[in-house]
Amino acid sequence: MTHLRLEGLTRRFPGAAHPAVDGVSLQLPKGALLALLGPSGCGKTTTLRMIAGLEVPDGGRVLVAGQDVTALPPHRRNMGVVFQSYALFPHMTAAANVAFGLEMRGIGRAERRARVDEALALVGLSDLALRKPRQLSGGQQQRVALARALAIRPDLLLLDEPLSALDAKLREGVRDEIRALQQRVGATTVFVTHDQTEALAMADLVAVMNEGRVEQLGAPEEVFERPATRFVATFVGRAARLPGKVEGPGVVRCGEVALRFSPSPVHGGGPGWGDAAGTTVELFIRPHHIRPLVEGQPADNVLDAQVLRRTFTGDVVALECATPAGTLLAELHGGTRGASAAVGSRLRLGFAAQDVRVFPA
Amino acid sequence: MNAALLLLPAVLILAAGFLYPVALLGRISLNRTSDIGAMEPDLTLATFEKVVGDDFTWELAWNTATLAAGSALAATALALPVVLLIRAAPPRWRGLLSLMAIAPLLVSGTARIVGWLAILGDQGLINAALEGLGLATEPLRLINNLTGVRIGLTESLMPYACLVLIAGLGRLDPRLEEAAATLGATRTKTFLRVTLPLAAPALLAAFLLTFVLGVSAFITPRLMGGGRVFVIATEIFDLALETVDWPAAAALAMLLLGALAVALVLRTALTRSARA
Repeated sequence: MTHLRLEGLTRRFPGAAHPAVDGVSLQLPKGALLALLGPSGCGKTTTLRMIAGLEVPDGGRVLVAGQDVTALPPHRRNMGVVFQSYALFPHMTAAANVAFGLEMRGIGRAERRARVDEALALVGLSDLALRKPRQLSGGQQQRVALARALAIRPDLLLLDEPLSALDAKLREGVRDEIRALQQRVGATTVFVTHDQTEALAMADLVAVMNEGRVEQLGAPEEVFERPATRFVATFVGRAARLPGKVEGPGVVRCGEVALRFSPSPVHGGGPGWGDAAGTTVELFIRPHHIRPLVEGQPADNVLDAQVLRRTFTGDVVALECATPAGTLLAELHGGTRGASAAVGSRLRLGFAAQDVRVFPA
Repeated sequence: MNAALLLLPAVLILAAGFLYPVALLGRISLNRTSDIGAMEPDLTLATFEKVVGDDFTWELAWNTATLAAGSALAATALALPVVLLIRAAPPRWRGLLSLMAIAPLLVSGTARIVGWLAILGDQGLINAALEGLGLATEPLRLINNLTGVRIGLTESLMPYACLVLIAGLGRLDPRLEEAAATLGATRTKTFLRVTLPLAAPALLAAFLLTFVLGVSAFITPRLMGGGRVFVIATEIFDLALETVDWPAAAALAMLLLGALAVALVLRTALTRSARA
């Protein structure tokens, strides 16, 4: 059941050449976590702020549980927001911060107490209830902010880059905690991030944004494995990028060799677009899709390669290889075949036609 | 080069323009006034005894303190909405609006008072308007009395209050108010529960600065009071130039200086304890 629906949401800042958010439409089922993923300036935070009511859209609508809330001020929307800087009230204790939203709702002292205790227990901060924000670590402040947002039992939980202010060491643990908490509470959540790993690891749905528009909306696997646009292919995950020219349906010439790709037609080009011979395209091949082959082993695409550079990063070995199609990057797990290949040695590399993404150049 | 040397020009100017005159004033305050009113060199605290023992001095001190406190309070209270407005304005307007708020400092205080006289006088803008609208038959007495001094002093202190509040509230994260709104607080609740408590140190600083400036104000009480409002600063002027009792004027000036120094020390202690 759709819980949050955005319809053509648009925001133009005065004096800006392009809209910050340009006709964003999407739907989110109840209890799901949506990640708005994109580079800085792509409009993801502005979208979040329009959902919260902190920014007024120039066009479009925000619907929560079927109700149009576009015209409601933030204090009448019942949305729990965790800000990037946490925005805890510095003059109040952790408990008073969490109680604030309940107090504003006119909830009586006894119930307020119980719900503050419950929210702080949920984030494991019951012992620190009487500390002021400046007496708490960054991670603890973030939990108070989460507890404060959840205590009001919001219709939507909105998180603006909640991990960016934390140490890299803490980030992964907190990320998993937030996800576990969100699932336990069943809060429909919108999460803004520029970090693809965060988005892929936490979200049920990922909306990849660029220049104010949603480039692709899909499950993390889908966005990663089947990027819909060239921007998504570039922004999410790594890939070798090779220039090429279409030779016929499902065949593209790349350097000295013809490579097969499927499904045809080319992504993003419209029906039949990529089948037109001579069209200039760009191929994206993910490093983990490339495998070294033994003598005689078949593959849709086979290339002779010579190792140019070998980077050992622990569990993964990255090989930069020269091939007749151009330079390819292969990532192999330590101990697997080819992982011990030395610089200068020769390999046969293979990859499936369905793992080649082709976009108009 | 020693970094302390960079302070030398400032120290020299301060020594010549402030420390030396104050020292001279201190010396004069220890002189004696003869029965015929002439100053005689001496080293006595007699003048201080006379000034401190005089009930009129205490009446003046009370008038000065209440006038300054009232005007400082009004200036701070009036500056707050101005600064909140500046803060809420789009970033590119903030600089210009801040400049406008403190622009009165660019005009000489005397010129501003002449402006006030034109507005508040018996035939001034306000009385002409009231009479024209048939709301008053007698002109409201808005100058040459305490009301006039209060109005003039409040206006002259406002730019300073704005200056302090712009600096103080500039550090207040607007996300805090947004957070309050998302938690269900109306604008009024947000102001009372978040903005005002967090602005308190800046408001106190603005009040104390404008109070100190108000206590030592001379031009406004002199010109807007029309010779009917007496504060310590005007009394010092009268003693020095009308009565020509230099030792008494110097003693009163030293006492005022001492009181202001105590106020500044208190202020520093207060802000330090507020921060801890």
